[in-house]
Amino acid sequence: MSRKAVILAGGQCKWGVREAHIVDLFQEAAKACLDDIPTLKPKDIDGLIVATSYAGRCSFQVNTAPVVAERCGLKPTSICTRCDTLCAGGSTGIILAKGLVEAGAADIVMVAGGEKLYTPQKWEVFYSELASVDHDWDGAQGMGLPPPFFALTAQEHMLHYGTKKEHLAAVSVANYNYAADNPVAQMQKKLTLEEAMNAPIVVPPLTLYDCCPITDGAAACIITTDEIARKFTDRPLVYIRGTAQVCLNSVSANFPGEHLADWKHTRIAAQKAYERAKVTPNDIKVAQTHDCFSISEVIEVEELGFCKKGEGGEFCASKQIEIGGKVPVNTDGGLLAVGHPFGATGIRQAIEILKQLQGRARHQVKDADIGLTHNLSGANAEHTILIYGREPVK
Amino acid sequence: MAVVGIPILEDLYPVTMDMWPLEAKEFNRIWQFYENLKQGRFTTTKCKDCGFVAYPPRVICPECYSENLEYIDLPTKGKIIVFSEEVKGVPLGFESPLIHAVIDLGVPPVRRLLSRIVNCPAGVLKRGDEVQLAVFPVPSIPIEKGKAGTVMADRVFFAFEPVKK
Ligand SMILES: [Zn+2]
Repeated sequence: MSRKAVILAGGQCKWGVREAHIVDLFQEAAKACLDDIPTLKPKDIDGLIVATSYAGRCSFQVNTAPVVAERCGLKPTSICTRCDTLCAGGSTGIILAKGLVEAGAADIVMVAGGEKLYTPQKWEVFYSELASVDHDWDGAQGMGLPPPFFALTAQEHMLHYGTKKEHLAAVSVANYNYAADNPVAQMQKKLTLEEAMNAPIVVPPLTLYDCCPITDGAAACIITTDEIARKFTDRPLVYIRGTAQVCLNSVSANFPGEHLADWKHTRIAAQKAYERAKVTPNDIKVAQTHDCFSISEVIEVEELGFCKKGEGGEFCASKQIEIGGKVPVNTDGGLLAVGHPFGATGIRQAIEILKQLQGRARHQVKDADIGLTHNLSGANAEHTILIYGREPVK
Repeated sequence: MAVVGIPILEDLYPVTMDMWPLEAKEFNRIWQFYENLKQGRFTTTKCKDCGFVAYPPRVICPECYSENLEYIDLPTKGKIIVFSEEVKGVPLGFESPLIHAVIDLGVPPVRRLLSRIVNCPAGVLKRGDEVQLAVFPVPSIPIEKGKAGTVMADRVFFAFEPVKK
């Protein structure tokens, strides 16, 4: 019988502005992860993949994996490495861990992601964002901080498809309300449509609640095989059915779509992931998509095939992303409200899908058996999709 | 100039904190792009073997992997497709208003170039407005040259600006 990867457990620390060192956050996340699976001990873990991008910029630490391993009491014997794909780092780690455990190159891998972004003087994280995009071309054009790029994206979506500010606000409201009772979220408050519509301007048409915050935080999950997982848990197993990661450009001038609201790379990633997972968009019962901005979620529900191209605004505003809707999206609060410590985000998404598929989510989607996570990273330069299911691909 | 909290960095240049490219020949094989900018030319590389025009410039052709490339001129005037204006909260290194635009320079691969728009107040730009290349100096950097000591390397960078009617 072939080895099939599952996500066994996961946990995240409190996200927000944290009075903590980056290695503290990783320790908190590792503990939260093992608290989710008390039968598993640190000595059982033979692999560690650390997803972080700003270690080296906002903290003076490259080669982060051995540091995290030591502080978390891990002694990996199969793999101990770091991956950096910015906002998709955590998801990338899970894809790599899946490959390793299915190939027999590792048995039980912890994928831990985290960032410490708040520095003693706040300018440094904003300034460091010049390195998050193609530094010499887009960074030097002042495109480091993403609001201008996504403001242009929103404008083009409005121009081509008639999307309105109310549609964007509906995404913020849905995601904030999902996070209101999430104890580890950065933003734990309900939001009304009126508040979202009247929020301070960031870059028109984007206002405060259209943009995810800067977040300190970490998350960790365990990837292993179904056979090993059964030794540790009686919970339903959650398989990683199919994955894809697509990169067609780096510099914004080479954006692959017809315009900034046409995400060809997302469509290619979705098609690949659906093929590998042997499912269709109609099978997805719950999704965690990359709502770095409200407009991102509007476009993602289109490109992932949950609605027709151009109808994402109406799809979100008509509550199809809420519990009881066609595809509940970002049911723990998403990046907008839980926050976005880049390398940790994909793991946060995976944990929410794990809980949904095991029937133990805070905002539970009824009969959720197939779930999806999606990340975009950089100046919309890369798309990463994972599809999870209660059954393996046959 | 002193660096607060890190006095040992007094008068030292930290490249990892530099918002502009390392343009000098000693550190960049596409230095010719920046030299051309200094002449007011906006250029990129074209493959002499397969004809592919890449932007930004390369040292290999991304289509056929040939190293047989030449610099060609791109248009320096174009039209605004969409633009954004950031007035408050502009990040360190840039002035308010920080304006960005998707510009159509008329030929691939720069039919949709994202650039900063300079020399332009907030609230006056319109879609379809004509813009032109604007080249400006950015801080010189010290490069250690062994026995010859440290030399200062001059730099420029570019954005676009409204064409005055
Ligand atoms: Zn060629």
